[in-house]
Amino acid sequence: MKKLSGLLLALAAAGVTLAQETPAIPRTADGKPDMTGVWQGGSNRVGTWEEANGDGGLGGGPAPATAGRAPVQRPAREPAPYQDWAKVKVQESFSRRGIDDPMARCLMGGIPRSTTVGLFPMQIVQTPTQVIMLYEMFHAFRVIPMNAKHPDDMEPSYMGDSVAHWEGDTLVVDVTGFNDRTWIGATGTFHTEAMHVTERYTRVNYNRINYDVTVEDPKVLTKPWIMHNSIMLRTGTRLREYECAENNSDIQHYEQLLKDESVFRRK
Amino acid sequence: MKKMNICWGLAAMGLILAAPAAAHHSFGAEYDGNKPITLTGVITKVEWMNPHSYFFLDVTDSNGVVANWKFEGFPPNVLYRTGWKKDVTLKAGDTITVFGWRARDGTNWAHSRQVTFKDGKKLFFGPPAGTGDGGNVSAVAP
Repeated sequence: MKKLSGLLLALAAAGVTLAQETPAIPRTADGKPDMTGVWQGGSNRVGTWEEANGDGGLGGGPAPATAGRAPVQRPAREPAPYQDWAKVKVQESFSRRGIDDPMARCLMGGIPRSTTVGLFPMQIVQTPTQVIMLYEMFHAFRVIPMNAKHPDDMEPSYMGDSVAHWEGDTLVVDVTGFNDRTWIGATGTFHTEAMHVTERYTRVNYNRINYDVTVEDPKVLTKPWIMHNSIMLRTGTRLREYECAENNSDIQHYEQLLKDESVFRRK
Repeated sequence: MKKMNICWGLAAMGLILAAPAAAHHSFGAEYDGNKPITLTGVITKVEWMNPHSYFFLDVTDSNGVVANWKFEGFPPNVLYRTGWKKDVTLKAGDTITVFGWRARDGTNWAHSRQVTFKDGKKLFFGPPAGTGDGGNVSAVAP
């Protein structure tokens, strides 16, 4: 108690006022941080879904400078570390304004994109032996065994094969066995079946998981591509059905546009 | 206040993967971010459906000629979560103003962003321009 009072006094002395009370990080019986809940990737805003997204910032764009929020300063951006020949391919997708996006054809987004896309919630169900991740977007799911090896009969797949272990309070998920039909994140960021993704989930406070990702693919990248993002708790949100293949009229629109690429291609 | 600043500073440092909001398909392939449009008219139909919702709007020009416009927007899940209610918030017969961007094919088709209702209330029916098309800078640009 004395220690706590001392800490509070020290904080007060430093001019730090305690923000509104947030609950402690929940923990499972074995003492690990419990990430069970509904979350939104690609965002850094605290609050319910509507509070965090109602102003049109869906997907985690820069937070608007509204009352009570300091303007967000972005760190310097680094180009994705593609090999020269592969850069040309990424640039070509950019020039075509992402018309070739596999997700436009309702194909699952892969990892890490399914997490970072931001527009749709994801749900984590954590047990001592497995972590289940459910994505509203295209109904993707991952059943991730703890302390297991990848199976030896993997077929290349959109979401890959995941196994996890704890490093302290960080859940480390190793993902491999991908096909080459997803994008890593931004427009055109393709990869090969050699892609290996390491995800690190650290619940740093009640509302936020730090989502740190390392993507390795020596066939297209010059070095590991390291990304830092956040996943925010969205209490009160539930996953709904999101069937994409029915009534996807954008594809017919695309077919018309592709007859004359100059209509949409970047100059 | 200082505490808030610290929180947001840390949050910002973490957000290095700051890809533009990615919808399930490209904005820029279909719509022209350089052709914003604001129209006021009467709703004729709302298609509240996956993977994208649409509404249709009768717009009367200064000569009294009526044209029916089609506007694309978010799927129902996203609309529900940001304050919309099916058959309540937007329905045939309602007069609204919509801001968005025109389709590249030049037809009466557009991507909706903000809808303003008669009582002045505003809601977003679709994501910002540039969503899902790579935005202004390619991932490999220096």
